[in-house]
Amino acid sequence: MSDSTNKTPDGKWTPRIVAFFCNWCTYTAADLAGVSRMKYASNIRVIRLMCSGRVDPQFVVDAFAKGADGVLIGGCHPNDCHYVEGNYKCLRRYQMLKRMIADMGIEPDRLRLEWISAAEGEKVRRVVNEMVETVKQLGPLNIPCKFEEWDKEMEALAGHVAHSQSAAGAACPDHAKPQTAQTAHV
Amino acid sequence: METRKNEPVRIGFYVCHCGVNIAHMVDVEAVAKYVATLPNVVVSRNYKYMCSDPGQEMIQTDIREQRLNRVVVAACSPLLHEHTFRGATEAGGLNPFYFQMVNIREHDSWVHTDRLEATRKAMALARAAIQRVPHHKPLEVKKVPINPDVLIVGAGIAGIHAAITMANAGKKVCLVEKEPSIGGHMAMFDKTFPTLDCAMCVLSPKMATVGSHPNITLWTYSEVVKVDGYVGNFKVTVRRKPRYIIEDLCTGCQECVANCVYKEPKFPDAFNLGLGKRKPVYMPFAQAIPSIAIIDPEVCLNFKRGKNPDGSYTVSDKCKKLCVVACGDRKAIDFTQKAVDKEITVGTIIMATGFKTFDPHRTPYYGYGVYPNVYTALELERVINASGPTEGHLVMRNGKEPKRVAIVHCVGSRDENTNRWCSRVCCLYSLKLAHLILEHTDAEVYNFYIDMRTPGKSMEEFYNRVAEEGMHLVRGRVADVYPDPNDTASGRLIVQAEDTLTNRILKIPVDMVVLSVGLEPRPEAEDLRRLFNLSCSSEGWFLERHPKLAPVSTFTDGIFLAGCCQGPKDIPDSVAQAGAAAAEAFSLIDKGYVEQEPNTAFVLAEECSGCKSCIPLCPYTAISFNEETKKAVINEALCKGCGTCVAACPSGSIVQNLFEDQEIFSEIDGVLAPLPQ
Amino acid sequence: MSKTANPFEERITMAGVAEAAVVDRTTTLQTLLDTPAGRRMLTCIQCGTCAGTCPYGDYMEFSPRLVINMLRRGFIDEVIKSDSLLRCVACYACTAKCPRNIRLTDVLLPLVKEQVLMNNTQMPAEFQKSLENMHRYGNPMGESPRKRAAWTATAGVKVPLIAEVKCEVDVLWFVECYTSFYARGQENSRATAKLFAALGVDFAILGNDEKCAGECGQMTWESGLFESLAEYNMKLFGKYKFRRIVTGDAHAFNAFRFRYPMYGLTQPVEHTTQFFARHLEQLKPKLKKPLNLVVTYHDPCCLGRAVGAYEEPRALLQAIPGVKLVEMVHNRVNSVCCGGGGGGMWLDTYYKQKGMDRLSERRVKEAIAVGADVLAVACPYEVSRFEDALKVVPHDKPMVVRDVVELLAESIG
Repeated sequence: MSDSTNKTPDGKWTPRIVAFFCNWCTYTAADLAGVSRMKYASNIRVIRLMCSGRVDPQFVVDAFAKGADGVLIGGCHPNDCHYVEGNYKCLRRYQMLKRMIADMGIEPDRLRLEWISAAEGEKVRRVVNEMVETVKQLGPLNIPCKFEEWDKEMEALAGHVAHSQSAAGAACPDHAKPQTAQTAHV
Repeated sequence: METRKNEPVRIGFYVCHCGVNIAHMVDVEAVAKYVATLPNVVVSRNYKYMCSDPGQEMIQTDIREQRLNRVVVAACSPLLHEHTFRGATEAGGLNPFYFQMVNIREHDSWVHTDRLEATRKAMALARAAIQRVPHHKPLEVKKVPINPDVLIVGAGIAGIHAAITMANAGKKVCLVEKEPSIGGHMAMFDKTFPTLDCAMCVLSPKMATVGSHPNITLWTYSEVVKVDGYVGNFKVTVRRKPRYIIEDLCTGCQECVANCVYKEPKFPDAFNLGLGKRKPVYMPFAQAIPSIAIIDPEVCLNFKRGKNPDGSYTVSDKCKKLCVVACGDRKAIDFTQKAVDKEITVGTIIMATGFKTFDPHRTPYYGYGVYPNVYTALELERVINASGPTEGHLVMRNGKEPKRVAIVHCVGSRDENTNRWCSRVCCLYSLKLAHLILEHTDAEVYNFYIDMRTPGKSMEEFYNRVAEEGMHLVRGRVADVYPDPNDTASGRLIVQAEDTLTNRILKIPVDMVVLSVGLEPRPEAEDLRRLFNLSCSSEGWFLERHPKLAPVSTFTDGIFLAGCCQGPKDIPDSVAQAGAAAAEAFSLIDKGYVEQEPNTAFVLAEECSGCKSCIPLCPYTAISFNEETKKAVINEALCKGCGTCVAACPSGSIVQNLFEDQEIFSEIDGVLAPLPQ
Repeated sequence: MSKTANPFEERITMAGVAEAAVVDRTTTLQTLLDTPAGRRMLTCIQCGTCAGTCPYGDYMEFSPRLVINMLRRGFIDEVIKSDSLLRCVACYACTAKCPRNIRLTDVLLPLVKEQVLMNNTQMPAEFQKSLENMHRYGNPMGESPRKRAAWTATAGVKVPLIAEVKCEVDVLWFVECYTSFYARGQENSRATAKLFAALGVDFAILGNDEKCAGECGQMTWESGLFESLAEYNMKLFGKYKFRRIVTGDAHAFNAFRFRYPMYGLTQPVEHTTQFFARHLEQLKPKLKKPLNLVVTYHDPCCLGRAVGAYEEPRALLQAIPGVKLVEMVHNRVNSVCCGGGGGGMWLDTYYKQKGMDRLSERRVKEAIAVGADVLAVACPYEVSRFEDALKVVPHDKPMVVRDVVELLAESIG
């Protein structure tokens, strides 16, 4: 089974966090953190968007699906959005996403939304470090690997169905667990 | 555009050392080597300074010789050099939007400490760009004409100087000032360091110019209440507060003031910081521009006491109105005047809203507001000023001339408990005040300082000159000010401090204490910041776009900064910055148009289901619904490129140029792709 | 009707939790500059505010400013050869006004003082005796620990012992030494008990098991003594369930707030004045008896400058009918120490030998100058110090020293 989690060359797992930062506030704040030579964890990969309102929920889901252990969204403070109210739109999607990813078995703490103004380089540092700590506590998410497992299960399941045509019980609702002899009897 | 569509993608990748700024933390050679292994990459190089001429030249040569059709540069922030490299890409013969930038300095080498990790991060970020860039499309920069008029907010020395500069060049300027007169803090000063010329003598000719300049519309006692639009075309609403005097009819004769039913001035005079008195109808100060009286409805007998909920005042008609009689045929007094909102359109804006002096009540151990002989430096400026409340006689509130004066530096500066910054001007104005005290009296003067900071042209020489006049310079921050226990009747105070150079505790009895208060952001700066969509530093000063290379620009295109609203500075620097802001505004105006990033959105009509979800989301009402085709349509001219509608479209039929879904998905894929061990 | 916000609600945070991170219990002079508190010292601008505001700055060979610089330059050995730092009364004046927020009073200076004493063969006798007493008897006066809770017999209300309560109590009242053994201190304790009873507070005390919180040990030099007392008390706390600690001793309060979290204390701690101010609305209707007095309030260092609780005691005094509150020249952040902190309580003889004036006398002169009938205090050290000072400072109008809780208890009759 392939392991798509992020590992340092010495084999230790370290989280990968995808961040979507708005151009006007949070991205600029991250630049400020750089100019001020603040130090923070290197696990973050920033993708620049013009506005947090551009964050399509699919981006977040896709990031998790492709192996992110956490997703951070950064936008302007309420009332400060460069595009008037894109950040409010983002907030609504974020709240929906929180529930949705929980339903998908992803801990909601893996997704975080922060309002960080262009002057708050220090907040970028703090939030990134906190986020990395939180995700470290939660451990690897590793959805791609789970996909593979699920695919194998589905294959096994399909094979099982094909082989024992009479056994209707094979389509048991417990399909998330690997098909062992024991569960096949249920 | 179509001709390139089926061509194979050929990417050139360049990673910059930025001297050692990037190379010390990121193994740039390893990054270049790694990127060379990625699909579509034809060239992968590293170079000392990509932004230099040879660096840009390299890109152009490669485009021609290697037939590149995409360019990726990993260097600093795109906010700094994206423009440069787009230019290089274009100069090489490609559409500039076939370029993508990777930020491995601000977001990587400067903020991380593990070289291996920083290098891997740089690889991941580079890979994201390599995967993104094949999806790029050629785009065109839109040019929008610019309105040549300019709005200047604040008419202190910075606003005045910027206004005159622009107006002399033939630009129409609207100068808005909150107070009834222009002049700002400078009008309150007595003399200025290091030349010791009288502040009003140099300022008043400029004030008069503003008042009479045909290209300047001066709106005093007015405030900006609304700002809409974008660079080149701002719509600004200015509220002109009622001064109960019709500006066009008032001649500034002050007959109304002379004939007011109040025979004696009774109310604290704001210009003199409450040290002097004025009547309900008054002239802000002798040299006020515009030279127009104002009525204070809070105390004028012809108004009912107290504000209405909407901020207006009700006329009581209880007064004999001797002012109206005195004004006579001019009929300049109008008690029914109401606030009026005026809308103007300008292309650029200069913010020159200034500062506020620190309120020393916040350092209670200096006794300000408790002991009458403790003054702020600004109060002393008024006391010393010939047109001030004491007509230039340096006397204290008890009418006596001080025999010993202590000047306390760094009040509300360099202090974690109040303001952390050095206010830059206090050391020099304290030396100036010491000089003026010595000039006006026989007093002994003590300057208590932490570090004597006198940078700037002629400043150290000034320090040297006034030090020779024989004042006491004590290196130690004052720790306590309290009444002399041995002499409670005279109001004498003890100033206690460690003389750090002799390692002794000094307890100096003085008659007068002057607090050299620092400069801090105005309390309304936060409201202004929101109104104009600016950023503030954590201290509350307006944030410049770049501390070194764009010191008067802001993150909002078309809005510039001048003077102390950006940070503490002295008069020469404020004036210089005002000139710089004016020049920046000019360069925009004279170009005639603004280039707009082509990041607008458009609807793929064939995919649009006509659900209308996007329409209410747009803050600019750029999206409409075509009833005939039953499809949404985006007006490109109104779209500002936030992408909110794109994220919301359930059928994925809205595309944002430069930020297409496929481009972002590729970036996500790229940053998460496994890296070589 | 909506409930009005209690202005004193916020203070029940545990300052110590956040603050404990500035140093840890193992920090020494050698490791100090590597701690967060030590790095602040690297930012010192040598402005001399600390020395200028120090009540004994006149008598110090090495002012706090100089100590910082000697430490940074590696010349600290010269400082610890001098007894200059024994004059520090841990009054927080330097710390409160420091423009760089440097922790002089409770971080740097105690570490220096400890070294000074190690270098000094001559320890002031009075002081040495007190430390020995603390070690042997758990109180500086050398009283029998078995008599610690004896005062409760005269309390007038039931003072439950936590060992006998057997269930969780809301308030663990840490009574402390002066308030257990000294006659004038016991008045404070009786008043507190009466107020607790009047408010129906669910409280208990540790009784004879309680030992000195050790704050003065920490603030002077005896970190070993402090360790043993803190570990003893922490073990005792671990046996019982309580939601908060309340103490009338400002010094114990300081130790619980800042140092005890380093030993694992997690419950919030309040000074009695903070606790009663938080319950001011319930207390007010009970304050029936008018005390027609002019009162001036002396801010204890460990309550005022150390945590900024300037307004709580004042609000309590102003709630008493008939009380007219007047302020001395030095008040709040500028208050003058009574001279009892940092071991000063037992160094009067030593200070006299060195020709230093008594701070308590300096302070009562200010109280006399404002014409107060009562000098109100909120720390048990101050009662005896100011009463002694009043015996030598001439004054025309009689003046008494009363703790804020004593005045409150008197008013509820």
